[in-house]
Amino acid sequence: MTPEVLIIGYGNPLRGDDGAGWRAVERLREGTRDGEFGLVAVRQLTPELAEAVSRASLVLFLDAREGGTPGKVWCERVNPRQSPPGAFSHHAGPAALLAAAAAWYGRAPAGMVLSVSGESFAFREGLSLPVEAALAELVERTRNIAGKALSRRSAPCHKIKRSE
Amino acid sequence: MARQRIVIDPVTRIEGHSKITLHLDEEGRVQEAYFHVTQFRGFEKFCEGRPFYEMPSLMARICGICPVSHLIASAKACDAILAVRIPEPAAKLRRILNLAQIVQSHALSFFYLSSPDLLLGMDADPATRNIFGVMQSHPELARDGVRLRQFGQQIIEWLGGKRIHPAWVVPGGVNERLSVERRDQILATIPGALAIAQRTLDWFKNTMEQFREEIRTFANFPSLFLGLVNRRGGLEHYDGNLRFLDSTGKIVADQVNPDTYADAIAEFVNPWSYLKTTYYKPLGYPDGIYRVGPLARLNLINGCGTERADQEWAEFRQLERGAVLSSFYFHYARLIEILYGIEKMEQLLNDPEILSSHVRAFARPNNREGIGVAEAPRGTLIHHYKVDEQGLVTWANLVIATGHNNSAMNRGVLQVARHFVHGHQLSEGMLNRVEAVIRAFDPCLSCSTHAAGVPALEIELRAADGTLLDQVRR
Repeated sequence: MTPEVLIIGYGNPLRGDDGAGWRAVERLREGTRDGEFGLVAVRQLTPELAEAVSRASLVLFLDAREGGTPGKVWCERVNPRQSPPGAFSHHAGPAALLAAAAAWYGRAPAGMVLSVSGESFAFREGLSLPVEAALAELVERTRNIAGKALSRRSAPCHKIKRSE
Repeated sequence: MARQRIVIDPVTRIEGHSKITLHLDEEGRVQEAYFHVTQFRGFEKFCEGRPFYEMPSLMARICGICPVSHLIASAKACDAILAVRIPEPAAKLRRILNLAQIVQSHALSFFYLSSPDLLLGMDADPATRNIFGVMQSHPELARDGVRLRQFGQQIIEWLGGKRIHPAWVVPGGVNERLSVERRDQILATIPGALAIAQRTLDWFKNTMEQFREEIRTFANFPSLFLGLVNRRGGLEHYDGNLRFLDSTGKIVADQVNPDTYADAIAEFVNPWSYLKTTYYKPLGYPDGIYRVGPLARLNLINGCGTERADQEWAEFRQLERGAVLSSFYFHYARLIEILYGIEKMEQLLNDPEILSSHVRAFARPNNREGIGVAEAPRGTLIHHYKVDEQGLVTWANLVIATGHNNSAMNRGVLQVARHFVHGHQLSEGMLNRVEAVIRAFDPCLSCSTHAAGVPALEIELRAADGTLLDQVRR
């Protein structure tokens, strides 16, 4: 059974700061009770995640982003939206995954993207200093949002009629 | 009018990066066509100097779609270097992993990459001719595709520890036995997967009639076929020997020991592609051109060995008196193999021996050379290594399914281009059919060249003197 709040960290830990989402999930695992949140770390968002996404009330996507001051943490709502042509054969964005959950399983949860501006996405393991320093904030904000959603037990959700 | 050239660069919805050039004559008719693989990786070279026991994990990194195939062929080559016969339960567990890989890869090819052409039409707007379009128009089928891929990936994760690049297969066997709980967990998912496979096959068979023109023109020509068969000539993906079949259905060579592959298969490189080309040596080039993969396998076997797949195979064989020649039927064969893979996994999991704890043989290197052959989703995969006295790799040769199919793909592009591409008017549907013939083979260029980039489509129309006459991008 998928917990009500699903946290998906994604990125490539072999491409420097691109692994920030992955690392944030590892940190969250350390301080999370079993079953409190759903925690998933993946290199890419793929269509296979849509079913688990559709069962959650809130999905938090943890990612790195280009642009902005390295280490700055961003928090944005995301709504279901189709990707541009050619996308989704191997990977998808958060909006596309929410759209897939709606189209295939009749239900798209609320979604938020928490991201941190990266400094370097070169081939290397480990995060840059500013992103490493920002990881605590990313984890804390994620935990706060997830905790509030659980305490409300009624996170907003886009209910969509399943087409036959 | 001057001779012209059309370039499709890169080809989309395939694994890897490539382009197609079409050369037109003075009247605008297609005269020549080339499928160029534009990426280069070179795994054969940079593994030199590595200890042989690292090879399975290293070679699995060739591909993110079919790492299991490389893992298995590589481990088999290492078994040969150790000179061990691995325990039977280990061979059965490797078989299950390989079949799970074939199911998930075939599901990716059929549902994610090719179903947009089949469901939305070759002439549909490219803005919607993708899995998203399928998601909107046929959510049930898209959902089935996702579930089937998930099924295969989940089994890989349960057995190998992770979905991509599992390390469970090692020289000498596998590194952990299968538990009762895990076996039961996998068995519980079989009925759902079987239902999806059967439903999709039934739908596809009813739909094929709409694609008469594609069936007639998609790489539909006589060629040889190559694949592994078991001792009874049945479908084989893990072990067995090689069989070559001609277009009339006559066996040309049978039970060829894979260790002697170099006597049967010649390799060469064209100056316009990084992808190696192969042919059947005794017939020379181009008479020895052959195809591998699901279409070849179903053409050359005497039967599948599972109930439902055998029924479907019998129906498939009714398509032609000799071998089934149209490469459009790769899709059909892929679906039958999905069905077979699920049934066969169930058979293997219900064998009590599958729970044995005897899953690995240990030895020091006893041979300086090892060859491992298995059937990958896309066809016969050969790993061949030589090592020094310390067991360090001194030489490696990989013969990949997509390389075996290279000549047939080129010939297929020429055939479909001659039929659908006419002169100076470049239409989307026309060019998509040229791409779709390549897609039917499901080539994996990351595997076969041993890249990074953003897929896009670029078509250039050039005069004989190189002048750019027209250009389309998407």
